[in-house]
Amino acid sequence: MNNTVLELKNISFKYKNDLILNKINLKINSGEKIALLGKSGSGKTTLISVLNGTIKPTQGEVKLFNKNFEELDRKQKSKITTIWQDLRLIEDLSAEQNVNCGLLAENNFYFAFKNLLNISSFKKAHKYMKLCRLHNSIYNKKIRELSGGQKQRVAIARSLIQGSNILFADEPFNNLDPKLITTIKNLMLDRFDKNNIKKSPKTALVALHRLDFLNDFDKVIGIRDGKIFFNIKKNNLKKIHLDKIY
Amino acid sequence: MNKLKLNYTSLSFLPILVCIPLGYQLINNIHFGGFKLFQEFLISAFNPKIDNEIIITVIKRLNETILIGFFSWLVSIIFGAIFGIISSNIFYKIFNIPNFFYRIIRFFLTIIRSIHEVVWGILLMQIYGINFSIGIIAICIPYIAVNSKVFAEQLENIDYRSFESINQINAPKFSSLLTLIWNPIINTFKNFGLYRLECSIRSTVILGLFGIGGIGTSIYLSFQTLNFRDLWTYLWSLAILIILSGLIFKKIKFNTTNKILSIFFIAVFFLTILFSFSYFLYFIFNSNFENFNSVSSQFNSSSDLGLFNFLKLILETIILSLLSTGIAISLPPLVIGIFNNNTSKIFIKIFAFLLRLIPTPVILLTLLFFNNPSVSLAALTLGLHNAGITSKLLFTNLESQDKRNYIAMKSLGISKKTSWLLGLFSQQAKSYLAYCAYRSDIIVRETAIVGVIGSVGLGWQLQESLSSFAWQEVTIVLIAYSSIAIVGELINGKIKNSLT
Ligand SMILES: Nc1ncnc2c1ncn2[C@@H]1O[C@H](COP(=O)(O)OP(=O)(O)O)[C@@H](O)[C@H]1O
Ligand SMILES: [Mg+2]
Repeated sequence: MNNTVLELKNISFKYKNDLILNKINLKINSGEKIALLGKSGSGKTTLISVLNGTIKPTQGEVKLFNKNFEELDRKQKSKITTIWQDLRLIEDLSAEQNVNCGLLAENNFYFAFKNLLNISSFKKAHKYMKLCRLHNSIYNKKIRELSGGQKQRVAIARSLIQGSNILFADEPFNNLDPKLITTIKNLMLDRFDKNNIKKSPKTALVALHRLDFLNDFDKVIGIRDGKIFFNIKKNNLKKIHLDKIY
Repeated sequence: MNKLKLNYTSLSFLPILVCIPLGYQLINNIHFGGFKLFQEFLISAFNPKIDNEIIITVIKRLNETILIGFFSWLVSIIFGAIFGIISSNIFYKIFNIPNFFYRIIRFFLTIIRSIHEVVWGILLMQIYGINFSIGIIAICIPYIAVNSKVFAEQLENIDYRSFESINQINAPKFSSLLTLIWNPIINTFKNFGLYRLECSIRSTVILGLFGIGGIGTSIYLSFQTLNFRDLWTYLWSLAILIILSGLIFKKIKFNTTNKILSIFFIAVFFLTILFSFSYFLYFIFNSNFENFNSVSSQFNSSSDLGLFNFLKLILETIILSLLSTGIAISLPPLVIGIFNNNTSKIFIKIFAFLLRLIPTPVILLTLLFFNNPSVSLAALTLGLHNAGITSKLLFTNLESQDKRNYIAMKSLGISKKTSWLLGLFSQQAKSYLAYCAYRSDIIVRETAIVGVIGSVGLGWQLQESLSSFAWQEVTIVLIAYSSIAIVGELINGKIKNSLT
């Protein structure tokens, strides 16, 4: 089952005169769990933004399901979900409204409208928030009233509720304590009691710093100064690999 | 003595220099013929006429004012929001529409905004004759454009990153748009709604002075017939109306978590849109165009407005704007600073309230008791009225400010005035000037009102040209007006940017 879902061909990204991504080639196959390693400032966030179609590369091609991004329709693009490093929640809306935003793609305008008026159903949102260990006292609190860790989990719930096949997560474990990290990691990587949650993303690429988690991944990508230094099976990872990028 | 340094504080006081040419012209034109009348005018303020007859008139007139003011407010705020959305960046980003359209619609709104509601009113009255709906339409046209600017500015503040994240969810475009703009729109409505309602009522009153109806018409008639006691009954009832509408609006909480209330607001929203459209169609198809037809045949009539005269009028309008802006900026801090004690403060506040309350044409007519009509007199009027508005803002900001510096300086033995200037005002000066820059945009437009009454500048020419049906001149005057306003807005935009 080696079918490619996402492919980067010779991608470069320039910000003014800085080359932030440098000739990146990358294939992501269906069902793969990939860890993305790299120092801070190495280009992880930029790479994820290219992968999910938020920024257009200066050079090269991004192919999702063998098609260019522009050729895809909305439904196909919504197969991707992202947990952003800076969360990107809507500060003035409540936690449950933000989680419901994840359902906007599969619903019509009327749902969006009801969500803002607080008269839509929050059942599904509450289910995912519970999975992320969010207490029901914060369901209707505004994002700006939450702690860092709570916000982080709201963002994760918003992403998981989308039921997408492909997940990009940018340092999703920030602000979480060790016990929570394990829970969340299992949720994201589908190592979870399958009865509880309908669809977990099959394919995942997670930017992270914690080397002790690598066991949960199939592949490891190392990035430094916008260049991929290695892209190998997790079992082949040696110390010299890590020395190259850190 | 220290050299005068140009900083925000001194810049707030410097414009008072306009008083030199202004005072010169005013003194040259002084007369005391109206002193008796003025005395009567003042005394009547404490002795307004109260009897059954006038109370019935007041109620009737106020009803008309409320009707026009409220409806024009409702329509202009709703359509303002809609135009605000379609003239904001976020709309074009979500729907991938070329920026070209964004520029066109913004330009179009700028032009509409540059012409004061009184000008629209006079224009529409000339075409359609006097009726109620003219008042609502005349207010709505520039107000929709003004409100749309306010909404668009708030929408520009939407975090680009939350736009990207909602965009990445790949929801239907209208869902994304609504989710992103919801809070900025509601907050703008909460923060500016009341203020705009007050503006609507004031504009209705001003239009009333020009014959549209409502309490404004009564105010004007009672002034013309020198029934000052009636006049003050109308003015005080207007004051009560403005204060009451503020209190009521504060009571209404726009709470989006209350379902029934939300549904009510949504219903009002859609009904207003529906009603406006149907009314608009009715208005277009059912009005008699007799005037307009007879007028359009004369459209080709040659203009007898010479180039020289025309340039003189433009210059007059610009001078009028500059002089009044000078007064509006510098008078409030000067007066508040010099009379810095609790009793004076109360008097200043009352005086400022009166300057806001009394429509500019009436202030001008009052000043005519002592002076012949001139650019300076019109400028003084407009300046005083706007000083009433800027001083309200200044008071509010000064009162909410941290007073520790001020108290510390006073305890060091520094004089009260110096402490006020350096300890209190200097910290306000920058934001105060920024607000004044915004205010001066409005002053430029308001020159039309005093122009018509005080026979100066383009406003006066507009009235003349209209009454002689010289539509070519009218067009030229309108173009001149909006050019001045647009250039003023551009300059002010630069000033505001450097202040914030
Ligand atoms: N908006 C931006 N403007 C300028 N430089 C940026 C911007 N975003 C990222 N960069 C630069 O791109 C490089 C990679 O950043 P990023 O992708 O955020 O790295 P990482 O996520 O690995 O920490 C950094 O050197 C950063 O300074
Ligand atoms: Mg990053």
